[in-house]
Amino acid sequence: MNRISIHILLLALIVTSGLPTFAQDSPDPHRIMMNVYERDQGDDMTSNLTMTLVNSQGEERVRAIRQFQRDFGDVEKKIMFFLAPADVENTSFMNWSYDDASKDDDQWIYLPALRKVKRISSDSKSDSFMGSDFTYDDLGDRHPDEDTHTLLREETLDGEPVYVIESTPKESDYMYSRTVSWVIKDKWIGLKKEFYDEDGDHLKTLNVAEYEQIDGFWIILDSEMHNVQADHRTRMKLKDVELDTGVDSGMFTERMMKRGM
Amino acid sequence: MMSTLRVLIRYPILVLAFTLAITGWLTVEMIDNARLETDLDEYMPQDHPAFIYSDQAEVWFDIKDGILVAIEHPDGIYNTGTLTKVRQLTKDLQKMEEIEKDDVTSLYTAENIAGSEDGLDVRAFYSKAPRDSVELAALRDAVRGNEMVQGRLVSDDETVTLIVARIGDDVFSQEFYDRLQELTATYEGPEEVHIAGSPIVEGTLARLAPKDMQRMVPIVVAVILIVLFLLLRSVRYSIITLLIVLISSIWTFGLMGLLGIPIYSVTTMLPVILIAIGVADGIHLYNHLRHVQQRDGHADRRSVVMEMLHGMWKPVVITSLTTSVGFISLLTSDVLPVKYFGVFTAFGVLSAMVLSLVFLPATLLVFGVSQRPIKRRVKQERVRNAERHRPFGYRFADLVLNQRSLTLTLTAAIVAGSIWGMTRLWIDSSFLEKFEKDSDIVQTDAFINRHFGGTSTLNVILEADSAGVFKQPEVLREMARLQDSVLARPKVGSALSLVDYLKRINMVLNEDRQEYYRVPETRDLTAQFLLLYEMSGDPDNLWQVVNYDYNRANLAFQLKSDNARTLNDAISAVEPFADAFERHGITINYAGSGYKAMVFADLILEGQIKSLVLSIGLIVLLLALMFRNLLVGVIGAIPITVTALISFGLMGALHIPLTTTTALIASIAIGIGVDYAVHFVERYRIAVRDEKDARAASRRAMQHTGRAILFNALVVIAGFLVLLSSVFPPNRALGAFVSLNMATSFLGTVTVLLIALAASKAFLPKPKHDKHN
Repeated sequence: MNRISIHILLLALIVTSGLPTFAQDSPDPHRIMMNVYERDQGDDMTSNLTMTLVNSQGEERVRAIRQFQRDFGDVEKKIMFFLAPADVENTSFMNWSYDDASKDDDQWIYLPALRKVKRISSDSKSDSFMGSDFTYDDLGDRHPDEDTHTLLREETLDGEPVYVIESTPKESDYMYSRTVSWVIKDKWIGLKKEFYDEDGDHLKTLNVAEYEQIDGFWIILDSEMHNVQADHRTRMKLKDVELDTGVDSGMFTERMMKRGM
Repeated sequence: MMSTLRVLIRYPILVLAFTLAITGWLTVEMIDNARLETDLDEYMPQDHPAFIYSDQAEVWFDIKDGILVAIEHPDGIYNTGTLTKVRQLTKDLQKMEEIEKDDVTSLYTAENIAGSEDGLDVRAFYSKAPRDSVELAALRDAVRGNEMVQGRLVSDDETVTLIVARIGDDVFSQEFYDRLQELTATYEGPEEVHIAGSPIVEGTLARLAPKDMQRMVPIVVAVILIVLFLLLRSVRYSIITLLIVLISSIWTFGLMGLLGIPIYSVTTMLPVILIAIGVADGIHLYNHLRHVQQRDGHADRRSVVMEMLHGMWKPVVITSLTTSVGFISLLTSDVLPVKYFGVFTAFGVLSAMVLSLVFLPATLLVFGVSQRPIKRRVKQERVRNAERHRPFGYRFADLVLNQRSLTLTLTAAIVAGSIWGMTRLWIDSSFLEKFEKDSDIVQTDAFINRHFGGTSTLNVILEADSAGVFKQPEVLREMARLQDSVLARPKVGSALSLVDYLKRINMVLNEDRQEYYRVPETRDLTAQFLLLYEMSGDPDNLWQVVNYDYNRANLAFQLKSDNARTLNDAISAVEPFADAFERHGITINYAGSGYKAMVFADLILEGQIKSLVLSIGLIVLLLALMFRNLLVGVIGAIPITVTALISFGLMGALHIPLTTTTALIASIAIGIGVDYAVHFVERYRIAVRDEKDARAASRRAMQHTGRAILFNALVVIAGFLVLLSSVFPPNRALGAFVSLNMATSFLGTVTVLLIALAASKAFLPKPKHDKHN
């Protein structure tokens, strides 16, 4: 064994000792949630998103969106172009989400009928995303440090070994009193998540129907959020996913919003 | 029939024991299963198109009735204390089990759609109550600048703010209301807190009406007992007559309990109606008994009772059958509670009949026949006879027959007047107008109507086949015109529709310039504004005014009254737009509890009028069959027809609306009125057989049965006048009109009926023998 390999071994020991409970008999729930939060999905992604909203009466609305996103380290930028319905075609939406939790997202929308880019400002991340059953937080914006996590049990879900973790917010006024996540071991995909409202009642359930390893990254392709209280569902399906194609940083500008893809 | 009665009469003690046993059993059933139905939706026929549509629309747009909590501060609501209370009370209401969190709207939860320098800004007006004057002024200015909130959640004089808690149809209960009042009471001072809204009005009404009736019934019973005693001169007879009525009520309610049928507000009138109708049998039986005793002197108890039954069973059965037919005809109604009411009243009447024919004779046999008062009465009559030679009945019959034209002219005039009055009749479905003008509930409602758009809601539902119709500018402009036209009506306070959202968004995205307060110019612009709005906040409110496919829209109008006139006035402003919308393939419908109540009231009345006509027809037929003379059938129906006409005519003339309560009065009038006619015709028939002369028969019939009819009328009139002291206006109307109807039925029977009967020469070709002998 040469010096370099000894160094690597030492490094590995240091790294694992720095994560004392990880992958041991009693894994650290916070670490698990961090793994989910930090799961590498490449530096950029291009995809076609179909968002289907279904209300309690079974009425459906379908939106087709072409989206680009890129991680710039401290900021994640995303731009979406509406393909359908026809009356919102070419409408585009841009979102800059900052790692700094104290900083609100910046959001713009371009309305072709008005030929103007408008800023959207809203109260909080507990707002719904485009009128769907997802909030911005539900889409993965919430940092695990904002919650306290407890490992409830380990079990098998859809044939996958999962950790079942309960998370309770540290702040008092948060929209959820707690959430329960089913996280696939080693893949760090939240396969299922239950959300409980301020009164402790079951509010929503997120189910992941399809995920795939693309270019070595685990990507969720199909998920459905069911608001059980309002009996309202939102399904998000990704197609034509391409990773690390080198999306141009100039893509995320107001000019591009107006110009289109 | 008579032979069955004869057998039963042999075992009077057994009859008494059996009756009491059944009564005891049914009392237990009644107590165990009695359940008052207060959910008004349970009253509505679920398969009626208007209800199906409204119920459907209620699901589409999540239409619910709102409880309105008004917080009033004399110096204005823009102070830290009041705004903190609004926030806290909103949260407390959201925590109540009966209220969904998202169904509470207040200044605290409302969204402020506003323009920012470079976009749309949808936020709450405040999260923590503003502390200093600058923040307070900013909040006030934000509200003033938002026409979707100013005047809706904050009064224009800024002294009152509203919290609206929408609740489901079946949620309201007295216990909930009590808790609500307890809760709001803790927020009093210096603010005043008022609670109103249609759930409160309907809930209170559903509870109050039966309760008031419950309170009045014992008094009615007591008064009737006293009057019975004054007339029958026998404590025992009076008690037994009353007992029969009470037992028949118990049987009726017991049967309802046994069948698991709840008590509806209509059926709470049952005891009162059974009292009115049921005492008749007793009075007539005792009256006849007295005549028998007078004639037969000292015959033994059993033969006197047999003679009473022999003479009276037929009119008692006929009156009971005709009365039952009147009520059973209510089965034609579309409204379930009214059907039950008809069937069970008929059952009660028939129970009273059986009891009168079986139980009453049994009591006579067991407890003896009253002797003392009869002797006195006989003596009195002899004295009178000696003085004036002819009994009063004779003289009265002569008077009526001699003054025929006067009587008929008077009657014709009254009927003509009644028909004029009927043209002024109006139907009212208002719940609020059933309360006293100075009651808390009416006062609070008026208070909120003064400060806000209105406490009642009318939903106008527009529907098209193709998706996206309600994004088209020409359709939206038509909607805006319709909305303005309805808003121009005096009692329409405010409106909310998709148009309001679009106008608001259009304006705030154009630097708050007033000229942009209009619907967007193109369909794409509308769609993109709505998408922008959806991205800016929780758009759930949007789905209360339009559906996903944009082919259904809900225009909600706040009205300052829940009466049919206000609703119809608003609807009449909508109707002219039907053609214009038709051209866009859009149909107009209505929804909401106020509208349903109006349709419901119409249905009830339509059913009652239908059944009234039907029952008069059936009674004519029945009388014709029983007296084997069609003409007599028609004549027998004269008093009830006249009574019904006068009853409705007077209601029209006195501006008393037809409501579900007052419309039943006519059914009662017929049920009672026909009895008088039957008794009189039967007595006349027997008399004419002996006398072979109309006038002589009239005299005898009048003398024999006129008094019993008069007594009957007096007892019921006295009893029902008690209802005039009720705190509940509809019950007062019921008391007044039943009394009036008794009087007109009585007068009609002893005048017009007598004249018609004498003129008809009916029964004069004497029937050879009575089939039933």
